Amino acid sequence: MSLRKKGPKIMGDFEFSDLKLHQQQEIVNAVRKGATRRDIMTWMMAAGATATTGGAIFGSASQVWASTPKRGGRLVCAGDQHGPADTLDPILCTASVDYWRGRMFYGNLVRLKADLSWEPELAEEVLVNSDATKWTFKLRKGVEFHNGKTMNADDVVYTLSRHMGEDTKSIGKSQFDMVTSVKKVNEYEVECNLETPNADLVNSLGTFHFRVVQDGVEDFSTAIGTGPYRCKEFKPGVRTVGTPFENCWHGPGYLDEMEHFGIGDPVARLNAFMAGDVDMMVNLPGKAVKEVEAAAGKEVWSVESGRYTSIVCHQGVSPSNNRDLIRAMQMCMDRTRVVKGELKGLGSVGNDQPINKAYFDYSPDIPQRELDLDKAKFHFEKSGVGSTTIPIIAAEVSQAATFQCLALQREAKKIGMNIDVQKVTTDGYWGAVWMQGSPFNVTTWNMRPTANIMMTLAYKSDSNWNETFWKSEKFDKTLVQVRGVTDAAERKQMYHDLQMDIHENGGSITPAHLNYTDACASYVKGRTMVPLNNWGGAEAPPYIYRDDV
Amino acid sequence: MFRIILTKIAAGLLTTLGVSIVIFLGTNALPGDAAQIRLGQAATEDSLRALREELGLNLPLYQQYFRWLFNFLQGEFGTSLASGNVTIAQLISDRYENTLIVSTLTAMIGVPISVGLGIMAAMFPGTIYDRFLTLGSVTLVAAPEFFTATLMVLFVVFFLGIGNAVVVGSIEDKNLAELITHFILPIATLCLVIAAQLIRMTRAAVLNVMNSPYIEMAILKGIPRRRVVMRHALLNAIGPIVNVIAINLAYVVTGVIVIEVYFGYAGLATLIVQGVQTRDYILIQTLGMIFCATYVILMMIADLASILSNPRLRHPK
Repeated sequence: MSLRKKGPKIMGDFEFSDLKLHQQQEIVNAVRKGATRRDIMTWMMAAGATATTGGAIFGSASQVWASTPKRGGRLVCAGDQHGPADTLDPILCTASVDYWRGRMFYGNLVRLKADLSWEPELAEEVLVNSDATKWTFKLRKGVEFHNGKTMNADDVVYTLSRHMGEDTKSIGKSQFDMVTSVKKVNEYEVECNLETPNADLVNSLGTFHFRVVQDGVEDFSTAIGTGPYRCKEFKPGVRTVGTPFENCWHGPGYLDEMEHFGIGDPVARLNAFMAGDVDMMVNLPGKAVKEVEAAAGKEVWSVESGRYTSIVCHQGVSPSNNRDLIRAMQMCMDRTRVVKGELKGLGSVGNDQPINKAYFDYSPDIPQRELDLDKAKFHFEKSGVGSTTIPIIAAEVSQAATFQCLALQREAKKIGMNIDVQKVTTDGYWGAVWMQGSPFNVTTWNMRPTANIMMTLAYKSDSNWNETFWKSEKFDKTLVQVRGVTDAAERKQMYHDLQMDIHENGGSITPAHLNYTDACASYVKGRTMVPLNNWGGAEAPPYIYRDDV
Repeated sequence: MFRIILTKIAAGLLTTLGVSIVIFLGTNALPGDAAQIRLGQAATEDSLRALREELGLNLPLYQQYFRWLFNFLQGEFGTSLASGNVTIAQLISDRYENTLIVSTLTAMIGVPISVGLGIMAAMFPGTIYDRFLTLGSVTLVAAPEFFTATLMVLFVVFFLGIGNAVVVGSIEDKNLAELITHFILPIATLCLVIAAQLIRMTRAAVLNVMNSPYIEMAILKGIPRRRVVMRHALLNAIGPIVNVIAINLAYVVTGVIVIEVYFGYAGLATLIVQGVQTRDYILIQTLGMIFCATYVILMMIADLASILSNPRLRHPK
């Protein structure tokens, strides 16, 4: 396999401009409203076009829609929790406020698109050998940092080596730990050698923790990157201000000034947004969606995502390793209630495995597990648990995290299953409860750029975050093997098997995937739709502009 | 007099030291440490160990405490554990202005008005005016801050359509009037909150004195009621009133987390809560000391004021 990409290209048997004007308009509108590449492709293919054409049309439509940005104006962005832990160091970013700032000030080797494919950014060309064990990045020439230095291989080598070694503090370490060496080939070429094949490495490099920093930088009190905005002010937990960087290789940011801060309280954030004090906000509460939709000049910015909340069943201890008990609980889970009742429809039903249709490798052939009390009762009786109390430790680590336990408890009662939901504070939850040996507890996962990364993190036997302590040699083997498989059908089958395996034999009760639901004023244009985080995967800063200036 | 002040200062310092130990132990009793919270779900044993070593969290507790105390006494506040590269001094300097401005303005506006209203209520006890004021202040005392704040936002911003629902923008280059406008809603809410207590306490303190025999004597001598209250009663009531003012002001500096969160501006109260959430004991300790010092100083001023206003305390036997 030689994977080669050179800039975005439009191809196909007919092009966007061949469509009738109203059709063009329709598609542009659909894209503006958040249709993904896959949506457009589905429509086009239903209308008889080929897959390539569908994809190309989407590309053109996004370009048309984004082709007339205006310069100027000031944009005030309200994130959620912020505080002293705010950081400009890409390897330490943990929160959506950090991700957004990162995109304002830095660039990545590649950038991710709405369908989670990638296109070149600071790397002009990406090459990989046939078994995905050696990646070569040919860097773009003439890219300037905010302090005037020209980006070269040294900067990229330094950036990537910060994720390596025993004592790295990198949050993205696990996505990079198969890399044994990062070498400078020449001034504009960097080579990564891998211990085990990883065809997804390039996707990881498009994410938050892999922003390119300057060689040798250790002081992150300000950000010296290649991004479209310069860091004018950064006060952790107070605010961040960016001004356009004139010499940015893809042009300066469109706004005269972008201000970003967090408003931790959801009600205060909503108040600020509705009163027009801020132009956009993250995490619109489900209850407020209708209010925002009805308000003039305000729009919901929702992206369907693979992130999810679920109940973890520890496979190493009793009673949570009782297969019949898990099955009974899975069948007692009222998924519709979680999605409709708690998420107000801004999410999708989960199927006890981590991959949903937001992922490229999602398998649609796995039967949906439904609420079925008869079958649940059968399995529950077979499990022999009887009236013993089943404790689930719950904290509101994400939307619906506690609610899913209550929904389960409510149905379980009907078949005589006695569930005790023990609510604890979210504060310190990850250190004190999660993976600390309790049989049942809640968890939440953000979406990862590929299904393989997601499953490796949370389900591979030797992963540090194998939260269910599930150990399956067959699963591990397939998971590693598929990384090198290039045959589409074979790859599809293998991913299906992996997802089916977790669905059938894993220790997760996953009732729902959560959308990223944010809101912005109608004049905020250039929105992205990458499903990895709030505000379109925090990918918008290079594109976002005000239409009313 | 001088000795009294010295004793008070010494007691204040001892209290502060004691408080620092209590805060330190309390912080360490919480589950997880700064390294674990910072890495969160992404923590591994390796990364935890690396981060703990870097932050000095692998040292025994007493060493951590004395290291902090030693640095603190030399004026070295240190670096925040939660971020790793931002100094505590910077975190505080980004926020103390907001807190200082809001509390000073609240004091300037809220205290005179409330004390005045309280005295008026005491002057005409049992009248419609007094009853109205009592009802109002009891209602306000009972209403939690977030409720008062919500009503303010609802009425002022969404109903009247003026001002901002949160505090936005920077305070640089603003004069007094602009600052008041900038923080109008938090200040107004805080004034209502402290007014409730101040009005009731002032009224009670003055009325309490009004029941003493010397006031009865003054009334019998035919002195007008206003003069009785202002000259004879009020001076004797100053002690308790000043104490209530001091407690309320200390609260406005340290305990207004709800107001800060609701109006979305960064202040010291939010900072200490964030410090606790991130187990940043260095930040918590430093802020704890600032808050403790605020209390001690304000209470000292209150004590001195009551001594100065009361000849019996001024010249102890």
